[in-house]
This record gives sequence, C-alpha cells and structure tokens, in this order.
Amino acid sequence: MSSPLLSIEHLAISFSHPRPAVNDISVSIGAGEIVALVGESGSGKSMTARAVLGLLPDGATATGSITLTGADGSETPLLGVGEVALNKVRGRRIAMVFQEPQTALNPVRTIGWQLREALRAHGRVDKAAARERAVELLTQVEIPSPEERLDHYPHQLSGGQRQRVVLALALANEPELLLADEPTTALDVTVQAEILALLSRIRERTGTSILLITHNMGVVAQVADRVVVLQQGDVVEEADTRTLFASPQHAYTKQLLGAVLRLPEPDTRVHALHEVDDRREVEPVVRFDGVHVAYGSRKRGRAFPAISDVTFDVRAGEVVGLVGESGSGKTTLGRLAAGLVPLAGGEVLVAGEDLLGASASRRRELRRSIAFVHQDPQAALDPRVRIGDTISEPLDIHDVGTRAERRARVTELLEAVRLPASYAARLPHELSGGQRQRVAVARALALRPTLVIADEPTSALDVSVQADVLTLFRQLQEELAFACLFISHDLAVVHEVADRVAVLKGGRLVELGPVQRVFAAPRADYTRALLAAVPAPDPSVRPVRADETPDEAADEDGLAS
Amino acid sequence: MARYLLKRLPSTLVVLLAASFLIFVMIRLVPGDPVTALAGPDATEEARAAIRADLGLDRPVLTQYVVWLGQVLTLDLGRSYRLGGQVSDLLATGAANTLVLTITALLLATAIALVASTVGVIADKKWLNAILSAINTVAVAVPTFVTGLVMVLLFAVLLPILPAGGTPPAGYLARIDITVQYLLLPAVCLALPASAALTRFLTESLRTQLRQPYVMTARALGIPRRRIVLTQALRNALPSALTVLGIQFGTLLGGAVLVEAIFSWPGLGRLIEQGISARDYPVVQVLLLLSVAVFVLTQLVTDVLHAALDPRVRLAGSTPGGK
Repeated sequence: MSSPLLSIEHLAISFSHPRPAVNDISVSIGAGEIVALVGESGSGKSMTARAVLGLLPDGATATGSITLTGADGSETPLLGVGEVALNKVRGRRIAMVFQEPQTALNPVRTIGWQLREALRAHGRVDKAAARERAVELLTQVEIPSPEERLDHYPHQLSGGQRQRVVLALALANEPELLLADEPTTALDVTVQAEILALLSRIRERTGTSILLITHNMGVVAQVADRVVVLQQGDVVEEADTRTLFASPQHAYTKQLLGAVLRLPEPDTRVHALHEVDDRREVEPVVRFDGVHVAYGSRKRGRAFPAISDVTFDVRAGEVVGLVGESGSGKTTLGRLAAGLVPLAGGEVLVAGEDLLGASASRRRELRRSIAFVHQDPQAALDPRVRIGDTISEPLDIHDVGTRAERRARVTELLEAVRLPASYAARLPHELSGGQRQRVAVARALALRPTLVIADEPTSALDVSVQADVLTLFRQLQEELAFACLFISHDLAVVHEVADRVAVLKGGRLVELGPVQRVFAAPRADYTRALLAAVPAPDPSVRPVRADETPDEAADEDGLAS
Repeated sequence: MARYLLKRLPSTLVVLLAASFLIFVMIRLVPGDPVTALAGPDATEEARAAIRADLGLDRPVLTQYVVWLGQVLTLDLGRSYRLGGQVSDLLATGAANTLVLTITALLLATAIALVASTVGVIADKKWLNAILSAINTVAVAVPTFVTGLVMVLLFAVLLPILPAGGTPPAGYLARIDITVQYLLLPAVCLALPASAALTRFLTESLRTQLRQPYVMTARALGIPRRRIVLTQALRNALPSALTVLGIQFGTLLGGAVLVEAIFSWPGLGRLIEQGISARDYPVVQVLLLLSVAVFVLTQLVTDVLHAALDPRVRLAGSTPGGK
C-alpha cells in the first residue's frame, strides 16, 4: 500500500498553562477513507485536528510530525511550517468543519460573500464565476433554492442549513481531506441524520477523505470506516469500525461503548398492550390544561405560538420525559410549570391550585415545592460562591431552620449526591462537570421539592459521566419519590429515566404514553421519524438512505392517555 | 426607518425641553449678572434698573423662561447683550467654523484609529504593540492645552511653517492651502485624545472578533490574517465602534472650547467663552441648548447607522428562520 494521504506521527501538544494536553498520538488517513477520532472531553481529539492545520491556540507547542502526501507522491510537512505555507494547504487541500454552525459563519456577511471569499483565498475568480461556483456548492450540500440563498445572511438560515453552508465553504476548493470537528453535535437528531448522510454521499461523489471528530458512538457506527479511540492524549485503540464495535479490546473502549444508551428494538407486540390508568384519582403534582403560550407582542401582530393547546399531567413520584427538537417548546413548558412564562390560554394547576391565579405569597409557597436543574452546570453555579453556600441558598431564602441545621442539611445533601462533605468549602471551578451537575441536583433537592424540572441535565456531559449522573438521579428519585419533568432531546436518555414520555413538535403534543409503548410502538409519524433518526451505536444497522425526514405537517394521531 | 425615528421623537423632545429649562435656570444661578457687566461697577442704581428693565430681567424667572422658549421656537434668538448684533448671526459664523474644526478632527481621529488599530492587530508584534500603546497613553494623558502649546511652539515658533492660530481670511474654505494652514494644528490637537480612545477601543474589539469562531472558519479556509481583519473582523467591530465615535463627537465639541481658545479659532467655543464671562444670557443659553441638541442628534444618527450596519438588527422580524 502506498503512503496514506495524511499521517500524524507521535504528535504531542503541550501548553504554557495547565490544561489537558496531547501526549503521543499517531493517526493515518488513507485516500477516500472516513476515520473517526473518538474520545471524551480532554482526550485531545480537537487539538489533534487543529494541529493539522496549524490552528492551535496561543501558547501551545506541538512536536512530532504531520505529513500530507499528494496523489503524485509529493510530501508536504504541516507541523512547524509558517503561516504562508499553511495558507496554501488550508481550505485547498485540507478543510475543516466546526461544531457550532451558529457562530462559525460571519454574521454580517452574506452566504454568497463568504463563499466567494473562500474561493478567492486560493486564486483569482471574477464575480460571475464565483457566483456560479457558489450556486454549485450550495447545490452539492443540498440546500434548496441556492440562487436565492446567496444573498441571505447566516441568521436567516436554520441550524442545519447553516451547517450545510459551513460544509460548502469547506468543499469550495475541492480539498483532499475534510476535518470535521463534532459537525453534528449542536444539531437536532433528525438534522444530524441528514448531515451524516450528506457527509457519506460527499465522500462517495468526490472521494474526499474525512477525519471525523466526535464523542458520539452512534455517529461513529453510522459513517466511519475506521476508529481511533483517544483517552487523555493517548491512542488506546485503533480498529475498523465493525471490529471495534464487535470486540473492543481496551478497557476504556469497552467502558465507552458500555456507557452508550441504546434504544429498544421496535416491537409490534407491545402495540396491543392496554394502557391502564390506575392512578387517576390521585391529585397530579402539576397539570397543564389546554395551555397556550405566545412569544412576541400581540399588539404588533408578531406573536407566534410557542405552545398550542397542550394537556397532560405529572403525577406524584412519576418521571415524565418531555422530548422534542429545538423550537418544539419543551423548555417553555418546563418554565410554565413554575409560572415563569406568561400564559396565553388554558390553566396550569400545581397541586390542584391555579398557579398564575394565586396570590403572590401563595405562589411563592407553591413554587417552593418546585425545583430546577439546568443544562449547563458551569453556567448554573455562581463561580465565586462556595459549593456549601450554593446548596444552602434556597434554605437561606426561605429561612429554613437554624444555621447549624442548614449546615447539617448541606452535608446530608452532598452525601445524597455522593460527594464528600469537604466539598462544601470548594469553588465550582475545582469540580469536574459531572460533580458540578451533582451539586446542581443537591441544590434542587434542598427544599424537598415535590416536583423537579430537569432541563437537559446531562447533555453537557461526557457519555460515561452522563451515565453516572443518570443512575444517581434515578436512585434519588426512587428514594425521595419526587415527581419529575425530564426535558431532553436525547431519546435514549429519556428512555432510561422516564416512566411516561410526551413528544412535542412545534409547540403541540404529538404523542403521550408509557415509555415502553412509545419507544417500541410509536403511534405518531413524527415519533417514528425521531426514533429512526437516532444513529444506532451498531455499524451493522446503517440506514440504506437516511434522507427520510420527519413529516412537516403536525400529526396528532398518536395521542394516548 | 421613518417609523423608528417617529418612535424616538417624543423622548428626544422631552430631553430638549428639560435641558432648556435646566440651562435657563442654571445660568441665572451663576454668581454675577449681566447688568453689572454692562453698566460697569460705578453705575447708579437708576441706570442699573433701566438696563435691567430694558433686558426684561426684572420679570419673574418663569415668565422670562416662557418668553425665551417662545423666541427659540420661532427662531428669534434675540440680541447679544455684549457682543452686539443678532445672536443668530454670531451663531451662524461660529457654528460654521466650529463644525469645520470638529468634523476635520473627527475624520482625522477616525483615520488615525483605523490605521493604528488594524496595523497593530494585523502585524501582531509585541514591540509594535508596545510602541502603539505607549503613544496611545501619552495622547490620552496629556491635556489639550499642553499639546496645543507644544505644537504652537514647535511648528509656529521654532520651525515657523504654520501660523500660531488666528482667524482665517473670509471664504477660506475655497482655498485648500489656506484652510490646511489654519486648520491643521487645532484639528490635530483636538483629534489626538479622541483618536487614542478610539484606537484603544477598536484594537480591543478587533482582538475580540479574532477570537470568534467565524474567524477560525476563515483561517481554516486559508484566508490570510490581513484579509480576515480588514474584510471580516473590522466589519463586525464597526457597529460598536460607531457608538463610541458618536460619544466622541460630543466630547470633541466640548474640547473645541479649549482648542479654539488656544488657537484663537473664531468658533462657538470662543463665543461661549466670551458669552460666559460677560454673563451674556441670550448667547450662552442658545449655545448650551444647541450643544445638547447636537448630542441628542448624534446619538440618534449613531443608532440608525448601527442598525444599518448590522443585518441582524436591520432585518429583524422581516424573515423567517431567525429567532
């Protein structure tokens, strides 16, 4: 075999200030190959990709060698060469796609302008030719009416379309290699499936090699030919995708694969299952009765419905999973339960009482029984407040017990979330992401709530950490028997923790039912599409064509309960 | 756009009305009065009373205010007590000169800031940034009257190539060579602190922009740093720089008072200086009100331009897809 397209040998990256570094990474990518670089945060996967294009952050030093071999056998070294040499390779021979389509495009320049700029970075092009090529590129990434899109600004496109534009930019100069750094992580699951399928098709059409950086084993299973597993800056295992999933060798790979949550196989037998409602007579902890929420000002005629006619309840001791893509209204519904958004119609009953109609003092009392756990533990904890004070804050606000009692309660709560009592004296930055989220859970439980609203509590965490936090959460829920509205875009997570699941789309409830039934035998087309779009962590079940997208029309035929 | 301006109109009018009242009252609280200034220290009580009645200063303050407000609204600005002639004539000549001076200074400051910040950011050399930052600090720290005097000393006395100041001949704007001679020193002197502040702000926002993910995208496409700074980062930094520029314009008008005094430039600054020492109420009142109006107007223009530069503001609500 001739030498690979790109070979990274003994790459080591160190920083002038302490942060996770790369110790010794060797990876090679052959022509037309899709290689996945897998690892959790701090594994060095992104830094490796950035080193290839000389885009390491300030203060980083890289050693080892990175060589690009052309079709004619010419070798181009990429490490330790200057900006001028790198600029000849960047975009033209190796291009990069980044994670956040929201910010990866210049907000004040049109799509056409940005594509033209990418083209003229590598040779003169006149305006007409650039426009023609731009249309061609947008067609290649399957953007509808490309001609029209050229004059649009990034904020006028949806997240998925923005990522397609980012991809078009990268493909502008027909690179031999594409570095894709978590290209679908920020996208909805159905959009992710489309982008992954597009990446595979681009490889087939153009023969471009792809280095795919991801933490998602499902994504790896769907598109990669070969997998390189990284752990804290070292390669721990390398194998072709099927072999790796069938018989992982290294303990860390096994742990990674083991931590992946799987969806159940569709099972038609469950369809016949009779859904009995045995707890009807118990007063629900929270009940949404035909609620409507509108955003924007009604006076100016710009109000658009965020929630339309949603009815369901959460009963004592029950976990209801709230599932939907961005813009489905799931977070709004969570906030509504605590009366944090104005209601445009319907009723929200907390423990049988109308929350918004209650007097201010009564509302305060009702809210005491509701607690929140947010998505990003980094942002949810005040960086200057010690963990102990953070946890006891709700107790202080509601003036619960004496100081000594509060301190005892903090210790008790830390223990409940399996953190040593000594952590009370620490500051948030001294904790890991998973530990921070445990603190957030502890704080939420401080006032012994009857309802916990958990908004994507694990989506900012690594898979292995996510598994731990979920197990802990489930244990606490069983122990303390609080009801929970568990909001997540991740179907596997919801399947793991919820008793019942509510599927939202465009502010409407499209399906509601027990978790087993909904996942095994979904009734709404949208739920089926959503389930089908989840990349299965199994390379043998790749979709033949992943271009079936969820039906745009709202369907409500799956409503049960 | 028209709707936006219409929405801003009421608050603008309230600001101007409140300012006019404050100005009117405050100026009368300043010790000394125009009668003494006009009649001289030895005047008899009768003569003083005659002057007071003549100027209408014997009426209650509120009446005086209403009368004055009516005059301003009908654009009858009255006569100057001391300088002679209609206030509107004095104002017209002074305003033209001051405007020439401040706009030149503003353009100069903008040009200096654009060049200094982009060069510094593109080159990204430690030594260059150290030099630029040192110059910057000096330009901000040294007061205008010192730079003014030093420049007069350098370019008019030691190396006599420029006039030390003074009134340029009538119709000077038609002759570019004469304009430059008279305008250069005061304009540079006025522009320096503003350009330093602007450079500092623009450099910082360019650096912030360079840390944005879209810059990483551009770099990964092989677009050279110089081009990224000039066509992308600068374009993104511009809206907020414009806001700072708007505030600077107000400061420049204030700074013009000092600079005009140093170079005896016949502008509003000199007019207000003379007006205040003579307690020439009609002149001072109108000038102060005018400066408030200019400031309010600048803010308005800045906001409108800000919207025009940012497509996210400009196109808000007009297209789908943007949340």
